[in-house]
Amino acid sequence: MGAFLASNFMHNIFGGLAQGVIYSLVALSLVIIWQSTHVLNFAQGAMAMFATYVGLTEIGRGVGYWWCVIISVVVGMAFGGITERVLIRPLYGKPEINPIVVMVGFLGVIEAVTAGIWTSTTRNIPAPFSQIYYQYRGRLILLSPFVIFQIALAIGIMLFVAALFRYTKLGLQLRAAALAPEVARLLGVRVHRMLTIGWMLSAGVGAVAAVIIASGNFGLFPTDMDGVFVAGFIAAAVGGLESPMGAIAGGLLLGLVEQFILAYWSPSVAPLSGVILLVVALMVRPQGIFTRSVNRRV
Amino acid sequence: MIRVEKLSVNYGAIKALSDVSFNATPGLITAVLGANGAGKTTLLRTISGLVTPRSGNVFLDDRSLLKTAAEDIARMGVGHVPEGRGVIAEMTVDENLRLGALASKINIAEGLEAQYQQFPVLGDRRKQYASTLSGGERQMLAMSRALIAQPKVLLLDEPSLGLAPLVTSELMKSIRSLCESKQLTVILVEQNAKSALKIAHDAVVLHLGTVVASGPANEVAANDNLRRYYLGLVQ
Amino acid sequence: MNFLKSLRVQETTRARLLSVSVLTIVALAISFLLPPVADSQMAGGAAITIVILGLSWLIGWSGQISLGNSGFMAVGAYAAGIWAHHHATTPLIFTFLLATVAGALSGLIIAIPSTRLRGPYLAGMTLAFSAAITPLAQNFTSVTGGEGGLFLNSLSTPSWFVHFFSGPNATIDANAQWTADLAVLVAGISFFLMANLFHSRTGRAMRLVRDNDVAAELVGINLGRTRTLAFVVAASFAGLGGALYTVINATVTPQTFPLTLSITLLTLMVLGGIGTLSGAVIGGIIYAFSANLVDHINALTGVNPTSNLGANMQGIIFGALLILTMIFAPRGIAGMGAAVQRLRKTRRSALASSSAVD
Repeated sequence: MGAFLASNFMHNIFGGLAQGVIYSLVALSLVIIWQSTHVLNFAQGAMAMFATYVGLTEIGRGVGYWWCVIISVVVGMAFGGITERVLIRPLYGKPEINPIVVMVGFLGVIEAVTAGIWTSTTRNIPAPFSQIYYQYRGRLILLSPFVIFQIALAIGIMLFVAALFRYTKLGLQLRAAALAPEVARLLGVRVHRMLTIGWMLSAGVGAVAAVIIASGNFGLFPTDMDGVFVAGFIAAAVGGLESPMGAIAGGLLLGLVEQFILAYWSPSVAPLSGVILLVVALMVRPQGIFTRSVNRRV
Repeated sequence: MIRVEKLSVNYGAIKALSDVSFNATPGLITAVLGANGAGKTTLLRTISGLVTPRSGNVFLDDRSLLKTAAEDIARMGVGHVPEGRGVIAEMTVDENLRLGALASKINIAEGLEAQYQQFPVLGDRRKQYASTLSGGERQMLAMSRALIAQPKVLLLDEPSLGLAPLVTSELMKSIRSLCESKQLTVILVEQNAKSALKIAHDAVVLHLGTVVASGPANEVAANDNLRRYYLGLVQ
Repeated sequence: MNFLKSLRVQETTRARLLSVSVLTIVALAISFLLPPVADSQMAGGAAITIVILGLSWLIGWSGQISLGNSGFMAVGAYAAGIWAHHHATTPLIFTFLLATVAGALSGLIIAIPSTRLRGPYLAGMTLAFSAAITPLAQNFTSVTGGEGGLFLNSLSTPSWFVHFFSGPNATIDANAQWTADLAVLVAGISFFLMANLFHSRTGRAMRLVRDNDVAAELVGINLGRTRTLAFVVAASFAGLGGALYTVINATVTPQTFPLTLSITLLTLMVLGGIGTLSGAVIGGIIYAFSANLVDHINALTGVNPTSNLGANMQGIIFGALLILTMIFAPRGIAGMGAAVQRLRKTRRSALASSSAVD
């Protein structure tokens, strides 16, 4: 068992999963927004990064790790809600290019403002658990208490979101507002409020992903979330953009594909793994691998 | 009760409704009849706040609804079963009904139980997705979803659309009995004038956005000109 | 009848050629009056104009959103750089053609899976492409020179041109002048080609595909091929612009094509006016003098340009401009110009009719 866990194959599995859960979180956050408002939020990564930088500042003031996580998530949620109200609401019903362009502009503003306030340097949060890998008879197992925490936290958040959507009154209303806004209004659902809450929820999930990245050895750089956003988008698109479960599965798949291309093919090609996966996925099933067949919106 | 006063609605340059007035008497069924494009659906959508009128007013128990949002009108006790039923196919029967219950302060578990007693078929399928239901069952679900919130007023938009004649007549009978047992005020929009007139107390006939006749249902049903020119009922 | 039609087409083409030539000559004349620093800026602006022309065609005329044009630029820039690195003596025009073809090929590769995608999917896919370009350039060190890039002394100003200049900075001055004139010339040619493309059968087909793909299919337009063509054209223009970049800087590095460049391109295009020829030129001019603009705003607001905030001012201003333009004036500067013209016309006709009533 121990020897198996320390094998090369399992190295890649663990590495892929650790990265994949982050992609899954970002993909999930994108899908939440996409389902309700049909906006692909290009600033999602940057918003999460900003929220985490605020949390980081607090840690500099002597706040503990968990407070930092909570502050980041709360700031992220507030940020998400305000963004929906101020930037997105005026664009409902406009051509789909308009919200894309606006969010791309917002991405630029957030990154520049963050670099302006906190300087373009990498920052990290001291990890709450040891980052030293376990060993089996002198051979490394690519798991550390921190990596286990990272995976567990991500899964916990996903389960929380799933339960919220499936079992609560709020979730019922969120789904109704996304699936059939007009019918929802006729049943007394405050649809506008639901859209704002959807954005808040999504930004909160995104912030968790950014906090996890910042907690590792590598830390967080103002433009770091660009790549994570792209990966999250690819994961969501592979999953079909409409399906939260698809997004999560897509994220894990992308993490693993990246890791295996890195290990067995060529590190030089690794940056392309997302594009390769997306192209393959779109050729196999253009409507997304994990969606039940959905009519294309015209 | 619902009172509509000189209601006019425009879609761009097109007049959908002009100067429409009528009362829906409490506890009775008012049928709104007319051909395709007469403005029937627009009328219901304006009453429930989805469409803003150009002029005129809508009152619920002498309170103007003009400045009230659709979701608040729903919470004030106006149930609206839209054209095409508006059942959310991606949700289960149970979830659809729970959603309906949110507009009121009733106990959800009791409300659900009451609905499942009233419509046993829905009780049997409570865990199924609404997409798996037949047309008649969907109409039942849509009605049930509106009724669970115990509305004072029920707006029904073409409930018979796409249903077999036998199912339609069952449906109409159940609408009548619901109205009587719950003292519901019903506004029933129908293209199928024959079935609607059988159960309605009053009737309003719309043509190209204006009221051409209104009065007790039996009088409207007896008027040969109305039958021939506006209701498509030629003997 | 047909003969008349073809005559008219020729006439408008000739008119276009004339006006573009006049514009190019004016720009060249201006370049001789400007100081060397401004000449370098002009060169950059001309190169960017070419890229925006392609982007404007893709987004404005074919309705396909791309965030990958910085990637296509990088392909062209590296194609030019790598070729010039190994074959120093080939004429410049050959390098440009090669880069254009390389850009077109990369566009084709991206277009084949992408033309089945709409809106946000497409934007995300192209973004993924341009995000992958920089690490690829960094990784394939043997070909691209890796992190440090390639230095291309072979691309320096021809000696016959330097002879016209004198003084202690003769080489630098000559270089600024040479690159500015070269870029303006290439931009002028590109503008002429794009103007014709806009008004060609293909251009009309493209707009029909954008507005009503069902109707387009009914009149026998192949949707996939048309959309792919739009990508290929946009990417070839981006490749040419990228090659100019390489020639202007006499170097090509991965850092020249960050993801933010795609945002900048999008901003400039939206600001100038989506789908307009003049908008592309306006965008290029704004790009050329954006540094001055940012300095000016820093001075106005009292932000220290060497501070953190000052260093990031450009990103903030560009992003904010993009948001504000999209919300309040989605047709951009060129669109506003057209709106003002229309307003004037209607006012004139209103005046005429009111006087008639009097």
